[in-house]
Amino acid sequence: MRSAARYLDPDFLQWFGLFGAALTWVVQLVVGFGITVARCGAANEVLGVDVKPWEITLMGVGIALALLAEAAALSVLWETRNVDYGGPAPEGRRHFFALAASIGNLLFLVIIVLSGTGAIVHEPCMQS
Amino acid sequence: MSALPHSGEARTPAAVARVEQARLARPNGWWGMAIFVATEATLFGTIIGTYFYLRFNNLHWPPPGVPEPKVTLPLVLTGLLVLSSIPVQLAVNAASRGLLTRARVALLLALVVQAGYLGMQIHLFVHDVHEFPPSGSAYSSIYFTMLGAHHLHVFVGVLLSAWILLRTATGLTGYRMNGLRATAFYWHFVNVLALCVLGTQLSPLA
Amino acid sequence: MATTITEPAAQRVERLERIWVEPRGLWGWLTTTDHKRIGLLYFFTTLAFFGAGGIEALLIRTQLAQPNERVLSPETYDQLMTMHGVTMIFLFVIPISTGAFGNYLIPLMIGARDMAFPRMNALSYWLFLASGLFMYASVFMHAAPNAGWFDYVPLALKQYNPGRNIDFYALGLIFNGVSTTAAAINFIVTIFKLRAPGMSMNRMPLFCFAMLAVSLSLIFALPSLTIDLVYLELQRTLGFHFFDVAHGGDPLLWQHLFWLFGHPEVYIIILPAFGIATSIIPTFSKRKMIAFPLVALAELLVAFIGFGVWAHHMFATGLPTITLVFFAAASMMVVIPSTIQVFAWTVTVALGRPEFKTPLLFIGGFIVFFVLGGLSGIMFAAIPFDQATTDTYFVVAHFHFIIFGAAVFPILGGMYYWFPKVTGRLYNEGLAKLSFWLTFVGTAVTFFPMHILGLLGMTRRVYTYPSSLGWGAYNLSETIGAFILTAGLLLIFGNLAYSRFRGAPAGRDPFFGGTLEWATSSPPPPYNFPVIPTVRSAYPNWDAEDREADVRRLERGELVLDEGHETPASTVVDAVPDEVLEMPAESPWPLAVAVCTGLLFIMLLTQHYAVAGVFAGLALLCVAGWHAKEPVET
Repeated sequence: MRSAARYLDPDFLQWFGLFGAALTWVVQLVVGFGITVARCGAANEVLGVDVKPWEITLMGVGIALALLAEAAALSVLWETRNVDYGGPAPEGRRHFFALAASIGNLLFLVIIVLSGTGAIVHEPCMQS
Repeated sequence: MSALPHSGEARTPAAVARVEQARLARPNGWWGMAIFVATEATLFGTIIGTYFYLRFNNLHWPPPGVPEPKVTLPLVLTGLLVLSSIPVQLAVNAASRGLLTRARVALLLALVVQAGYLGMQIHLFVHDVHEFPPSGSAYSSIYFTMLGAHHLHVFVGVLLSAWILLRTATGLTGYRMNGLRATAFYWHFVNVLALCVLGTQLSPLA
Repeated sequence: MATTITEPAAQRVERLERIWVEPRGLWGWLTTTDHKRIGLLYFFTTLAFFGAGGIEALLIRTQLAQPNERVLSPETYDQLMTMHGVTMIFLFVIPISTGAFGNYLIPLMIGARDMAFPRMNALSYWLFLASGLFMYASVFMHAAPNAGWFDYVPLALKQYNPGRNIDFYALGLIFNGVSTTAAAINFIVTIFKLRAPGMSMNRMPLFCFAMLAVSLSLIFALPSLTIDLVYLELQRTLGFHFFDVAHGGDPLLWQHLFWLFGHPEVYIIILPAFGIATSIIPTFSKRKMIAFPLVALAELLVAFIGFGVWAHHMFATGLPTITLVFFAAASMMVVIPSTIQVFAWTVTVALGRPEFKTPLLFIGGFIVFFVLGGLSGIMFAAIPFDQATTDTYFVVAHFHFIIFGAAVFPILGGMYYWFPKVTGRLYNEGLAKLSFWLTFVGTAVTFFPMHILGLLGMTRRVYTYPSSLGWGAYNLSETIGAFILTAGLLLIFGNLAYSRFRGAPAGRDPFFGGTLEWATSSPPPPYNFPVIPTVRSAYPNWDAEDREADVRRLERGELVLDEGHETPASTVVDAVPDEVLEMPAESPWPLAVAVCTGLLFIMLLTQHYAVAGVFAGLALLCVAGWHAKEPVET
């Protein structure tokens, strides 16, 4: 992980670290939400949606990608550890974004786990 | 700072080519169009989302009495439209190298295909409206809203291309080059959108 | 900045003045493309709408002061409470934060001479004014929107609302949305491309991060509202079926699309306040913001996560739990970036040498109301609690603490903070402090009792209530609070108006601010900076060496860019200088396009579609005229 920043393009790692978990969450939300609408709508008679496999897959892939994004962010953070976040580009800018991303990814990871768990454990189509 | 290109000063194809060579970032006009495209893409995202939302809430889709979507003609027309992205991009590449005439010919070719597409689609639209009017069901309401919105965007693209062709009749400037880049980006967006709309339109057949 | 200026420097400044100065008088204002003038146009227009929304609020509070009142009829009440919401959100708080503060300050803070698209900037303003006038025409016709600011179907459909009220709502907000979209595009491109050399993204002011988050949110949120309104109008006027179950539609479709816009909208409302707070705190604490990258991230995160919480406005609609959990999860976590910011703000003040001038007092008030309002907000993330308190005054309390206490307080503080920069004069500090306390007490007294009323069961939007429920005393105190608040606001505006003409001269930098707007004169010249600043930190005005270097550059003629209406463009992420842009000067076309568009919307309202098409065509011709005039070097 730490040496990744030396072999992969540091800017790619920085951007993936910043956006990877966020975009993964968006996909989990849109698809996961859509699955529940399809399951509980009138068309389920013909569509026959099975919620659990979908939501488990979405959560699993989501967790994996979020962790990868966090790894990317931490590797850039490590490579730029001696640089000030206000320093000149590109090193300072990379440090700045990696610092922000390393916290943000944790937030998205929690949202992905909470959402997925909720969608899996509750009885489909039961109201609160 | 005096070594930097002044794109506003470029008033010949050769000068424009030099500016295009030297620049590091995409011009403001391109960025403005890109963000406008982002908002329009989101608009279509909500329309397509509405389509599937309504679809999930209806057992029969299309509802009884409404014909299934046609496949062949829409497929062919969309294919032609998507292919028009090639001459559009060739036009941008040519203009950025100072080859104005080549650029204008490519743009005109694309415009002919795009205008032809629009004409055919309007004809089909009017025919369909008489066959299953939007006031009949949610299916026809979202069907015509989605297609209507798409054709409106194609129409705007036709106007943009026509305007750039008109303006470049008297030569190429940095301002017009940026306009051409923005127009090309818009067309690529519209063409990708055509594929998404077609896919949605044909989804009941899956 | 040196007080004596050498001859070559003076000549350059004079050339810049000649190139950039706009005509005086009415024509100058009608054709302006100067972001500072446009900012002032927005400022005064939004304040007029604030006044209108405030009068609506006072009428509502008067009607509700006692049980069983008939100061207003139910029909009038419905229109007033709807217009109060619509006015305050779409015609006041968003345009003042973006159009007034954003427009005036962004180019100054990034070291640019104007926005990326000066003519489109003017267009945004004229479209905004036209859309506001369009909507207020409905008030004078006693046909104002009357179904609440979120205008739920089926109440908004033709069957239950046959008059023009809802058509004014739908068309007016689509119209308003065009203005706001244009402004958002302008802000994003300006922030991306026009930053001064060396101002890579990690050195961008936090205010600009906030405005970037606002603008990106607007770009992705407005389409959802627009399409919802289009569906509504198609159903109302042409008999389409989106929202009625009988023909395969769904009334919840309105709510999903509305809140897909509506929730990001509330983050759009609060983000500029964050931006203003993060500008005022470092200045008056005399130190940089703690955890600067995390604060910048938090501003963007709040906007981003805010797109995934919309159905928490629909927890009581009977949606299945497996659908709602996504939104409960995100709603709980969205509080974390805000918490990071609250810690950063308070720790920065604590670790600095704070000077509690009025702007900082307003930020203190902001933090108090934001924390309290945020606490009531997070309570709604719990589905069972939400189902008990939905549509009660508890919700009204929450969002007024946030919108008034947390979004408006920084606006008021920001007015005091940047008043010296805009006018060149100082406001009266003693009177300002009094105005803060009156406003603070008024806000607390007006909106705190609403929490209790909500828990006691008082529902929102009711035009009166019976005397047997014990709600009268709370309502009366809220009304008294509203009048105290009004007094505070009048004192603020009175102080600023008086100081505009009689205040002491402020000088370039009375508060020792760290960002670039304080590096130029007060008020700034039309060209903002005689020398384009080079930037080596996030607080460039505190880098004395760099600012002294600017003075020497003016004498040498470096980075002066006085061969035309020039400003440099740089690369997006790292602000490497890329090209010199020629900006357009004043133009009548934006006003012309706005007039044609206004007429277009009037024709759509009155269903004269062919004539509407004619005006659309005219608007396009005006756009053609606009682009036929390419900016060239003088």
